[in-house]
Amino acid sequence: MIVALLRRRLRRDWLQLTLWILATVLMAYAGYAGVTQSYATHQDRVEVLSAVMANPVIMMFRGLPSGASEGQFLSFEILPWLTLLAALMSTFLAVRHTRGDEEAGRTELLAATPAGRALPTVATIIHGVAANVILGILVALALIGSSLPSAGSWLTGAVSAATGIAFFGVGLVAAQLMRTSRGANSLTVWILVAAFLVNGMGNVAGIPSDDLTRIASSGLVWASPFGWAAQARPYDTDDPWPVVLALVVGLVLAAGSVALQWMRDIGEGFIPARPGRIFARPALSGPHAMVWRLTNGAIIGWAVGGALTGILATRLSGLAGQIAGQNPAVEQILDKIGKAGDLQETVVTVFFTMMGILAACAAVQVLARARQEEAHGTAEIVLAQPVGRVRWLRDYLLVATFAIAIIVAAGMLAAFAGLAGDEDAPALAKVVTVVGLGQGLAACVFTVATALVFVLLPRGTIAIAWALVMLATVFGLFGPLFGLPQWTTRFSPFAVTPVVMNGIADLRGTWWLVLIVAVGAAASLVLMRRRQLHPAG
Amino acid sequence: MNTIISTRGLTKTYGRVHALDGVDLEVQAGQVHGFLGPNGAGKSTTIRILLGLARRTGGEASVFGLEPWRDAVQIHRRVAYVPGDVSVWPNLSGGETIDLLARLRGARTGDASYRAERERLMTAFQFDPRKKGRAYSKGNRQKVALIAALAVPAELYILDEPTSGLDPLMEVAFRDEVQRLRRTGATVLLSSHILSEVELLCDRVSIIRAGRIVESGTLAELRHLTRTEVSFEASSADVLAGIAAAHDGTIEEGRARFTVDSDDLPAVLPVLARQAVTGLRIEPPSLEELFLRHYGDDLGPSTGSGTRSDSGPTRRERRHQEARS
Repeated sequence: MIVALLRRRLRRDWLQLTLWILATVLMAYAGYAGVTQSYATHQDRVEVLSAVMANPVIMMFRGLPSGASEGQFLSFEILPWLTLLAALMSTFLAVRHTRGDEEAGRTELLAATPAGRALPTVATIIHGVAANVILGILVALALIGSSLPSAGSWLTGAVSAATGIAFFGVGLVAAQLMRTSRGANSLTVWILVAAFLVNGMGNVAGIPSDDLTRIASSGLVWASPFGWAAQARPYDTDDPWPVVLALVVGLVLAAGSVALQWMRDIGEGFIPARPGRIFARPALSGPHAMVWRLTNGAIIGWAVGGALTGILATRLSGLAGQIAGQNPAVEQILDKIGKAGDLQETVVTVFFTMMGILAACAAVQVLARARQEEAHGTAEIVLAQPVGRVRWLRDYLLVATFAIAIIVAAGMLAAFAGLAGDEDAPALAKVVTVVGLGQGLAACVFTVATALVFVLLPRGTIAIAWALVMLATVFGLFGPLFGLPQWTTRFSPFAVTPVVMNGIADLRGTWWLVLIVAVGAAASLVLMRRRQLHPAG
Repeated sequence: MNTIISTRGLTKTYGRVHALDGVDLEVQAGQVHGFLGPNGAGKSTTIRILLGLARRTGGEASVFGLEPWRDAVQIHRRVAYVPGDVSVWPNLSGGETIDLLARLRGARTGDASYRAERERLMTAFQFDPRKKGRAYSKGNRQKVALIAALAVPAELYILDEPTSGLDPLMEVAFRDEVQRLRRTGATVLLSSHILSEVELLCDRVSIIRAGRIVESGTLAELRHLTRTEVSFEASSADVLAGIAAAHDGTIEEGRARFTVDSDDLPAVLPVLARQAVTGLRIEPPSLEELFLRHYGDDLGPSTGSGTRSDSGPTRRERRHQEARS
């Protein structure tokens, strides 16, 4: 019986899991190539690490420095990202097969068979653990294949899998607590982001060693599974106990989710549902208001992210400014990403590129909602009212653009607030304005791209749109770090937006982006006139 | 009379599947028009084309004299629609959904008349507007769509299997509402696979099967097509001999069984009374039986010949011949 349940899970997931695992393994592989190309000598790596000690900003988005050997440096560069990918794969998997199935009514169908209430969850646990084990083994093999020491490589694979399993447990428990898969996914992603930041802060607050290549983290990192992963210190002390800790926590949480399931009815959660309104608010009065109502929660979440990025951009650029000139290695890293002149300008540019990615994610989520509405059948009810097809899609485009505007505004306002008291304020305010607006424009490219996919290939909307964001992020933000050729970054809208170099604004691909957005928006709306409803799946 | 809906030779293909294979449908103003057919016959596809939600592959369609795909919005201003499979927003309450749909149709939801009508319908359908969409059962989702459609007056009501999921009490409430619509002079296209519902409510009926209209007419005309099944306790076939109108007479498991054209039933009753039959049971045919009986012979691929107007009588004659031989 459990075999049948596992088969069904595998059949539904194989492509998705293959892609997640492949992406993680590729990251390990490309990370090694990037390290050996960009920082070939021991001296290069020592310089970068000492720069990091001086400028802890970088540690928020990198790992824990343990030394300057190739393996140690690789851990510093990519271990947080490997574990993050495993964690995201696992939480989505956990929610998809528990609360997601339950919401769709499939759990009820299965629970009425001899499989009962618990067995499907047990099958999901086996499925999730197996996926992580495979991911871990392949990551280890990829690293060993790159001629790194095998003990550290196996440990890197093990911490990736163990972190995945720990967050898998978090996802399972969240799925028990929340009543909807959307709610469970948001809860786990917030926990995940918080855990990632806690780890970063724990490392920033750590004590550097005398040779400036190693940091003894503060106790804070033990509050985060990402911290446990880092404390294993692959290629350094190779400590297996953090792996065991992550595994135990993951499995205890998984067992806890089974226990929670025993305590509740199918279809219910532990957080009680509030009664709704008897009458609709006056504001809920048109298709655009409807779209806003469906997406505003998520948009506000993205805007909070945008504001955080904005304030970090200017607060930390000040910090970076203090050490500018002291250390050429830092400048070298940041130059690789931002290709700009002044160091402070570059820090702002890098952070606002991240804000642009957040804005693009929000826009894609709004447009993807159009497809979800269509598949779910609620689009049919709206389109059977006096609402034209073109107007219906246009309202999604408007709300997505509005979402981008909110996030860019939140990021820019937070950045201006962060500039208060800075002597370079006017110059940096110019950078914030130019780069912030430019990234907003880049995010609009994803709005129209998603709209075009929705019109032409409705069934692929969600997968293709997110893949585009992912590719643009990899090429635009990580491409230079991984040693990808310069020309490939030009395919990423995030990497062709206007920048400010030594106080002079360079428009770069602005007019191209404007052209793409205008043509794309017009084309999607014109094509929508010919498009009929594509209801189910 | 004023034609509200008219299709001629309407076809729709999805890839290689012929969902509609030449539908000819006419609905006049003020009619309650039954649109009958088994699942998968093409009822919902036809309705979607009439609403401009799907594009026709061939043939003609018009609603209020307008072209449904091009003039969808103009048509929708005058139409209220209840989909066959109602989905609602999981995070909106039923009350919010009803108000939103009313506003999309241009109603002012603050008006006392709308509020009163909404309140009346919610009482009639015993509907709780405070629950969130995800908590509603199929029947309750159906009620959301029904109340939203009925709360704002329209010229044409398109109802796709509106009673599926409703309990018998609610079906009665629904029938009352359709009678009310009839009195106001509105036009109703009522799709259904339940013959008794259609018989109770409709002036005229079109029957669709495998993507084409196979019968269309008033109920009186169609009653000629329906046969009532009569059975009573008997042991020998002699009892059937005296009943002239009986078709397909058999004796099985101690019961005599025969069918009779609905018009001939009154003539049969005195005969049965004279014989003092016991265990008498008279069953009107279900739609399923009607289909099996009348169209079971041509379940093969349709030839493309034969039109709606002449296929009825010829089939009926053929059936009579077969029964007598």
